[in-house]
Amino acid sequence: MTALTFYGQRPPGIEGEVLPGRLIVIEATDRTGRSTQVALLKEWLEDEGYAVLDTGLTRSDLAGPGIQRAKEGHTLDPITLNLFYATDFWDRLERQIMPGLRAGMMVLADRYIFSLIARAVVRGVPIEWMEDLYGFALVPDLVVYLDIDVERLLPRIVGSTGFDYWESGQDFLPVQGMFESFVQYQRLLLEEFRLLATRHDFKVIDASGSVAEVFSALRSEVERLLADMGTDPAVHPQASSPEVSAR
Amino acid sequence: MASLREDPHLPGRLFIVEGIDGSGKTTQLDLLHKWLVSQGYLVVFTEWNSSPIVKRTTRRGKNKKLLSPVSFSLIHAADFANRTHAQILPALKAGAVVLADRYVFTAFARDAVRGVDPTWLRRLYSFAVKPTAAFYFDVPLTEALQRLAGGRLRLKYYEAGMDLRLSSDPEESFRLFQGLIRAEYDRLVDEFGLVRVDASQSLVQQQHEMRGIVKRHLAGVTRNDHGRIQDALRQAGLTGRYVRDGAGAWA
Repeated sequence: MTALTFYGQRPPGIEGEVLPGRLIVIEATDRTGRSTQVALLKEWLEDEGYAVLDTGLTRSDLAGPGIQRAKEGHTLDPITLNLFYATDFWDRLERQIMPGLRAGMMVLADRYIFSLIARAVVRGVPIEWMEDLYGFALVPDLVVYLDIDVERLLPRIVGSTGFDYWESGQDFLPVQGMFESFVQYQRLLLEEFRLLATRHDFKVIDASGSVAEVFSALRSEVERLLADMGTDPAVHPQASSPEVSAR
Repeated sequence: MASLREDPHLPGRLFIVEGIDGSGKTTQLDLLHKWLVSQGYLVVFTEWNSSPIVKRTTRRGKNKKLLSPVSFSLIHAADFANRTHAQILPALKAGAVVLADRYVFTAFARDAVRGVDPTWLRRLYSFAVKPTAAFYFDVPLTEALQRLAGGRLRLKYYEAGMDLRLSSDPEESFRLFQGLIRAEYDRLVDEFGLVRVDASQSLVQQQHEMRGIVKRHLAGVTRNDHGRIQDALRQAGLTGRYVRDGAGAWA
């Protein structure tokens, strides 16, 4: 059972006390293989008979397209961009995540409020303001953090699509050069993630290993969470096939 | 205004108007705008829900009825944040007089009616600049409704507060919604020291009152002393066939 606990005040329009599903969050900086792990986890959970709903940043019907458009211009101040992301987050919480949990699904979130908080804080937005803002966020059942060093991250960037404007913090860092900017930005970001990991009791997994090694560690964490669900008929096996089915 | 940002070093001035629909606040702000321009002040005007980057998303939410109390609140805060950083703050730093048609108090009043926590709202908007003076146009509900009925009254879903399910009849819903907002404004007047203007008075009386208060805050604000285009034309004995009056240089 997912108890309906929020970081701050319970937001208006949210009813009920307990939901039969589970909310699992995977957090990590860019290019850690996070999305691959979410996909693997989804496949495994479905194989085990759980209905899965997956969601991630900017995937809301309401604000997703607007954020993409806004970021193309590279002109947004961090407060506006954050409020845009917060709108997207809330829309998904209210219209994807909560209905999924209510229907007894396993909801997988590819990043949650922590990525948003870390990115904003390194850009100078006060952490108190960010935490107040996301007071309406539901406390997940499990937050797994895929931890990696910048040195291990670099070969993955070079080997794939290269350096990205936002992922290199070029919107605010006064550093010359994409490479230098990337290194500095990711260092700041990782530092912030590690602070959040301690404060919010993340399960930390070393992401420098192979995909299979990381997944094995991730699966162990999820198995522990599921151990107490065996007797919960609303979840396992699938009791209902809700409209929000992810398939 | 305990929760808003005070910055005594900003050389500009910020005047804002608030009130329920039909209170006449936009008319009064427009009159103030014209007067300030005629006095040579650099005036920048901004209105609620008008950020070029955000308003498409707001419109999408409204048209598709996607907005809940919290997303309604957040997307309007995003719009306001964008105007604060791209429009209001730069203008105040440049020494302009900024006029805002609706400000954070609109969010405080409307969102509170929709059940959003007031403390959360005040923290959310803590980046907002504290206005030099904030005018609240206080009008009895029946009078505001009469004025609207005389002009535009094609009620949209969120404008009428239909999402609150106060009534299935749009006009009745609008009436109840505006009444609740008005009660919230009453609280905000005390909390934030808004200047209450009796909006049942004649238009000219209200404008007189408003200018009297604004004048007191204009000492030291930069005025354009390059003279107006009309003056230049007159002095040179020209008719001004190729220059448009005022707007271009002053808007």
